[in-house]
Amino acid sequence: MKPAPFDYHVPESVDDAVGLLASLGDTAKLLAGGQSLVPMLALRLAVFEHLVDLRRVEELRGIERRNGSLWVGAGTRQAVIEASDEVRAAAPLLAQATPLIGHFQIRNRGTVGGSLAHADSAAEYPAVALTLDAELEAQSPRGRRTIPATEFFTGVWSTALDEDELLLGVLLPVWEGRCGFAIEELARRHGDFALAGATVAVELDCDDRVARCAIGLLGLDSVPRRGSAAETAAVGRAIHELDPQEIGRAAVAELDNVPADLHAPADYRRRVGAEMVSRAWTRAVEEAGRG
Amino acid sequence: MVPQMTGPTSAARYAGTRVHRVEDARLLTGYGTFVDDITRPGMLHACFVRSPFPRARIDGVHATEALALDGVHAVFTAADINPEVHELWYSIMGKDIPDTPRPLLAEGEARFVGDPVAIVVAGSRYVAEDAAELVEVDYEPLEPVVDYRSARDASELVHEGYEKNVAGRLRGGNKDLMAEVGPSAAHVVSETIHQQAYVACPMETRGIVAEWSGGEMTIWAGTQAPHEVRAVCSRVLGLPEHRIRVIMRDTGGGFGQKVAPLREDLCVMVAARKVPAALKWIEDRRENLMAAGQARHEHGTASMAFAEDGTILAANIVHTQDVGAYPTPWPVGTAAAVGMIFPGPYRVPQAAWATTSMFSNTAGRIAYRGPWQFETVARELLLDIAARRMDIDPVELRRRNFLAADDLPYAMATGMPLDHISPREVFEHALELLDHDAFREEQAAAREQGRYLGVGTSSYVEPTTSAMGAFGTEGATIRVEPTGKVNVYVAGGSTGNSLETTAVQLTADALGVAIEDVNTIQGDTAVTPFGLGTGGSRSGSMIAGAVGTTARTLRERIIAIAAHKLEAAVEDIELADGRATVRGTPTAGLSIAEIAHTAYFDAASLPPDIEPGLEASGRYRAEAMSIWANATHVCTCEVDVTTGMVTILRYIVSEDCGPMINPNVVEGQIDGGTVQGIGGALYEHLAYDEDGNPIAATFVDYLMPTIAEVPVIEHGHIETPGPGPGGYKGVGEGGAIGAPPAVINAVADALSPFGVTITDLPVTPASIVALLDEVRAS
Repeated sequence: MKPAPFDYHVPESVDDAVGLLASLGDTAKLLAGGQSLVPMLALRLAVFEHLVDLRRVEELRGIERRNGSLWVGAGTRQAVIEASDEVRAAAPLLAQATPLIGHFQIRNRGTVGGSLAHADSAAEYPAVALTLDAELEAQSPRGRRTIPATEFFTGVWSTALDEDELLLGVLLPVWEGRCGFAIEELARRHGDFALAGATVAVELDCDDRVARCAIGLLGLDSVPRRGSAAETAAVGRAIHELDPQEIGRAAVAELDNVPADLHAPADYRRRVGAEMVSRAWTRAVEEAGRG
Repeated sequence: MVPQMTGPTSAARYAGTRVHRVEDARLLTGYGTFVDDITRPGMLHACFVRSPFPRARIDGVHATEALALDGVHAVFTAADINPEVHELWYSIMGKDIPDTPRPLLAEGEARFVGDPVAIVVAGSRYVAEDAAELVEVDYEPLEPVVDYRSARDASELVHEGYEKNVAGRLRGGNKDLMAEVGPSAAHVVSETIHQQAYVACPMETRGIVAEWSGGEMTIWAGTQAPHEVRAVCSRVLGLPEHRIRVIMRDTGGGFGQKVAPLREDLCVMVAARKVPAALKWIEDRRENLMAAGQARHEHGTASMAFAEDGTILAANIVHTQDVGAYPTPWPVGTAAAVGMIFPGPYRVPQAAWATTSMFSNTAGRIAYRGPWQFETVARELLLDIAARRMDIDPVELRRRNFLAADDLPYAMATGMPLDHISPREVFEHALELLDHDAFREEQAAAREQGRYLGVGTSSYVEPTTSAMGAFGTEGATIRVEPTGKVNVYVAGGSTGNSLETTAVQLTADALGVAIEDVNTIQGDTAVTPFGLGTGGSRSGSMIAGAVGTTARTLRERIIAIAAHKLEAAVEDIELADGRATVRGTPTAGLSIAEIAHTAYFDAASLPPDIEPGLEASGRYRAEAMSIWANATHVCTCEVDVTTGMVTILRYIVSEDCGPMINPNVVEGQIDGGTVQGIGGALYEHLAYDEDGNPIAATFVDYLMPTIAEVPVIEHGHIETPGPGPGGYKGVGEGGAIGAPPAVINAVADALSPFGVTITDLPVTPASIVALLDEVRAS
C-alpha cells in the first residue's frame, strides 16, 4: 500500500495550476483533498507521474452570493461548508448533505471540487449539484467556461472536464419562497457510501401546489440521476393529492443501470431508492409547508 | 477432586478493584513500541509478490527486471526459501498430528488470491513494492475450488493426496441418534445454519523484523506468543533455541491471528539469513484481509428433539468448515470442539456430532477468538427457532432446560465435564438488567404502531485455561530489587489484553506491596520464563498461578529474614503494605526495602539457612483440565422492515468469569469480543466472488462495526470461583462467542410477526428485505 513514484507540485494560483496541467498532460492528476485519490494511489489502482496539489490555491476557496446563486470555491473544505451560515441560508440542501459525507476527519480534508470532479455516483455533492441545477465553472488554457450539472457527470468517475481543465467552483441557484429540502440515504454504517439515497427540493405556491421540484438520486446508476418523470408528474399538483410512495416509485422507474455488489443487489437498491425519495419528499414538503 | 483454592491473601488490596491500566500511559501518549517502530542499522524491507489467481500453475518466476531496480537487494522464490525449512510444527498441536501442507512460498502452484510467490528485499518498502510489480510470474490459471460447500464434488483438488478436498473428519456419539430419538419425541427441530467468513482484523496488521548477526537471530514480532515465535523459528531454521531471541513490546491486537507465526513470518526469518542487515516486513491492510487467514466460514445442520413440555431429549450437529488452502494450525482438532460443546449450558441427555474440514482455494483458516463458537451460533439460533415452532417464548424454553446448581458437576453427553458454572444465574441476571417483561410490553406497543422491536438471548459455556500440553504450565520470576522495588517477569506480552496490569496487580497483592512499587517485564524470550502466550483465554488464571507460586517462595524468605531480624517467630510475622510486622506489635517491623537491603548487601546478617537476594522463579501447573466460564448475552434491536436496517438498542452481557482480578479489564475483554460478534452478525464478510477473487479486500467493503453502530454495553457479573488460583476463569474469548446469536435472535424476534426464519449470517439490510419478500410471496 505504497503509491508508485510521482512528482509532487504545489502551485499557488489557478493560472499556475492550469499551466502545470497543460504542460504535464495526462500524466498529471489534480489532488483536491485526496480522500479518494490517495487511497487509490496507495492501492496502486491509480498511477500518475505527477500530482498537482491544489491546497495552496487561495482563489479556489470561498463561499459567496453571486446574482441569485451561491458560489462555492472548488477548494473549499467540506468541514467549512458544514460550519457555514451562508450555506445553511442559501443552499440548505448542501448544508444537509455535508454531514453525511464520510466522517469528520474526511470532511476536514475533502473539498467540494474534489468530490464533484471525482464524480462518485453514490457521493452526496454530485447529487446535490444535479438536483439544484448547479453550474460548474472550469478553466483551461482555452479560457473559462460554465458547464451545467446536467452535462457534467458523464460516467463512473468521469466528468465533462477536459484533461487540462481545472474546476474553479460551483454555482448553486438559491431557491426563494416556500421551499423545502431534504436528503435521505441508507448506508450500512455511519459514514459509508450510501447503498441508495435521494435529494429533494420542492417549492410550493400559496395554494400548496407544487410550483417546482427536483429529485436527485444517488448510488442508483453510474452517475447521479434525476427522477424526472416523478418531478413532471408532481408539478402543479396539490401536495395533499400526492402520495410520497408513488413519487418514490416513479422517481426510480426509469433507472436501468442500478449497481449491484457485495452489499446489496440492484433490486434492493432500487426499492430503497424509492423509499428514500418518499422519505425525503415528505420531509421537504413539510418544511416547505411551514414557509 | 476438591479444587485447591489459592485465593488472594487477606492482605489483598488490588485484586477485584478497577486499577487503572499500567499500559495506558505509554499507549495513549504515543510511546508504545510496535514492530513498525523498530529501526535497525541498514534495515531492509520486504514485500511479497502474491498470486492474483485463486489457483494457477507457476511455470516460472523472473526477477531480472526487479533486481535491476535501484535499491533492490534480492528476490527470493520458493526454490530459495522452502528448502531451508528443517521442520515446521506448532507447540499447541504438537508434531504428531496429521498436519496439512504449509509451504513458506507457493511452489509449483498458487492456491489462493494472495498466496505469496516471492519475497522482494529492498532498501525501502516503497522500492520493494515497485520491484514486486516488476517480478514476472508465469501463471497458468487453473480451475479453482472456491466454495467449500461444493468442494467435495469438485473435479479439482486443492492439495494432491486429499481426496474430495477433505482435510479431515471427526465424529462422536451415536450417528443414528436423531433417527432413534426423533420418532418418539414430541418435536424435532432441525435447521442448517451458515456462518460467513469473517476475521480478526487487529488494529495493527502482522509484522516482523528479523536480524541475523553473528550466528544469532533476533526477532521483533507482533505476536501473542513470543516464546512460540522462538520455538517455531528454531524448528524452521534448525537453530538452537538459545541462539534466538524474540522481543515484543506492544502488539496492536491478535485475537488468534498472531497466536502462531504464519507463512510470511517464517519466510522473513529464512530470508533474513540471506541478507546483510535486519529485514522488516509490515503487512498492509489489503494483505491482512487477503492473506492473514480466514475464520468462521462454516455451516452445520443442528437438530434437537424435545418432549412435549420443551425438555431437550437429544442434540446433534453435523458440521462442515472451510479451511481454505493453508490452514494454521491444523484445523481438524479444533473443529471437534464445535461438536463437543454443542449441548452448551443445558441438560441434554444424549448428543452426537460430526465435523468435516474442507479445503478450498481461499485464505487458510486460522484461530479467531473462540474458534469453536459455531456451537453457540448453531445451538442458540436453533433454540429460538424451536421455541417459535413450539409456541413457547425462547426465554421460557431455555429456563426449562438450563443446568442448575444441583446438576453440577455435570458431564455433557459428549463427555465434557462441566462444573463451577452458573447458567441460570447469569441468564436471569441479564434479563433482570433488561427488564424482559417491560421490553415485551414495549415491543407489543411498538408493533401497534408498525415498529418492529426484538429481543434475543444467547447463552454459552466456554472452556478456558486449557491444561493441554504446552498450555498447561506458566512460569514467573519475581525479583525484589535491593531498594525493595519489584520486577515481575512473565512471558505475557501486551496485545491489548492488559496482562501487564494483571501481573502487577497480582504481584502487589501476593507480596503485600504497593502497586506503584511493582513493574513487569514481559514479551522478551531472553529474560522471561517460557510460556505459550495469549490463547485459549488462559492468561489471567495462568499468570495468577505463576505469580502466586513464585511469590510464595519469596514471601517465605522475606518473612524468615524479618523474623530473624525482629527476633520473632515466623508465624507471628505479617506482610502487608510493604512492611513485615510482628503480629500484635505493629511498631516492631521492617520495610520490604530494609529486608531487601539486608538480603543483597548484608548477607552475613541473614539467617544461616536462607538464600541471599530476593529473587525467585516458579512454575505453575494448571489444576484442572480446563476452567469453564459462562455467560448470557441479551440484545434488543429495532428493524426497519422497509429497508431492512437493524439498529441495536441495548446490549447486555452477564458473565461468570469467577472473581474478577480487575473489572475494567474483564469488561474491556467482553466489550471487544462482543463488538467483533456484532460485526459477524450484521456487518463483516470476508467475501469471495464465484471466481475466487476476494471482494472485501479493503475497509471500504469489509465493514467493521464502529462506535456509531454499537451501543454502550451493559454488564452483569456473577462470580462463581473456578478450580484454579483465586478462582479466576478466562474471559478473553466469550464476547465473540456469545454475541452473534444474540443479535440474530433479536432480529428474528423483531421479524417474528412475519414468520421469518433466519439461518444465514450475516444479516444485512438486503438479506432481511429478501427474507421478508420470501415469506410474503409464500
